[in-house]
Amino acid sequence: MELTVRIQRYDPEKDSAPHFENYKLENVNKTDRILDLLNRIKWEIDGGLTYRRSCTHGICGSDAVKINGRNRLACSVLVQDLKISKSTIQIEPIPALPLEKDLLVDMSSFFEKYEIVKPYLIPKDAPPERERYQTNEDAELLFESAKCIQCGSCSTSCPSLWVNENYIGPAAFLKAYRFIFDTRDDATAERLDLIDTTDGLWRCHTIFNCVEACPKEIDITWHISQLKKAALRREI
Amino acid sequence: MSWIKTLLTYEKAPGAWSWGLHRITGLGLMFYLYLHIFALTALQEGPEAFNAEMELFKSPVFMLLEWALFGLVLFHSFNGFRIVLIDLAQGAKYHKKMLYWLTGISIALFAGMGYVIFSGVFH
Repeated sequence: MELTVRIQRYDPEKDSAPHFENYKLENVNKTDRILDLLNRIKWEIDGGLTYRRSCTHGICGSDAVKINGRNRLACSVLVQDLKISKSTIQIEPIPALPLEKDLLVDMSSFFEKYEIVKPYLIPKDAPPERERYQTNEDAELLFESAKCIQCGSCSTSCPSLWVNENYIGPAAFLKAYRFIFDTRDDATAERLDLIDTTDGLWRCHTIFNCVEACPKEIDITWHISQLKKAALRREI
Repeated sequence: MSWIKTLLTYEKAPGAWSWGLHRITGLGLMFYLYLHIFALTALQEGPEAFNAEMELFKSPVFMLLEWALFGLVLFHSFNGFRIVLIDLAQGAKYHKKMLYWLTGISIALFAGMGYVIFSGVFH
């Protein structure tokens, strides 16, 4: 089939503001990934097109872009997955982060939010001779949150972050959950203090944009609700 | 204010619609509360002034506005309950289902109230 790919372009050395450009592609298969289309444009039409990709198989999380109005991973979405009107697919960078070039954004602030929640195990005791033991049931509490590939689709889809750039955001909350509900971790009170702030948990207004955007289908809002309950419980 | 453009162009799923409607109905209810308190100040001017004002509220325009007010109350209260269930229970897993149910029930009650207001059964 024939398809028009409408891409937001921005070259900081030439352009004063981002603009859209259309690229016509022939012989597009409905099983092509959106990343395949970007690659074809870069390799066959305009080598200057800039975007991130690495593993290209939905594991590294580097090619999150806004496709037809919603954040998704370009390597995990096929042409047939999209509702396409007028044979056009629109691709923009993920919102709310500083734009560097074309589809490339500066992810620094996104990863600084991870550092706020201390994304590492803080145990009370010294390491035992063998592993820190966990039952299957205890481990199961963490499986869904541990699927996160840190692509940034969720946090940058959140209206609370669009309005307040200091909002910690769903991705970091999910990481906080992963350690607060880990039976091997002993820093629950400290961790809850870090997210129970004015830029924290309570700015989640259960809009569910993060859940819609997550390429790993993690129910992020459910995990945040568990954190809200934990933060409330200690006040009672 | 660039977030307004982002908000307008980003795809809206049911969760986003319910959030937006909750905000809009909340503002509507706040506006009504101001109007309500303002209307009650007529009491200070004596019974005649207050009764004259009450007559005004029986006009078709105000009947329509009251019906709309009932719609705001319905959505805002039901959706508020939904948000409590999402935050403090397991509601996040059923949030779309809850939204469809509360919308359906709201429409039914809204229609029923329309009948009550305009058929004059209480006059």
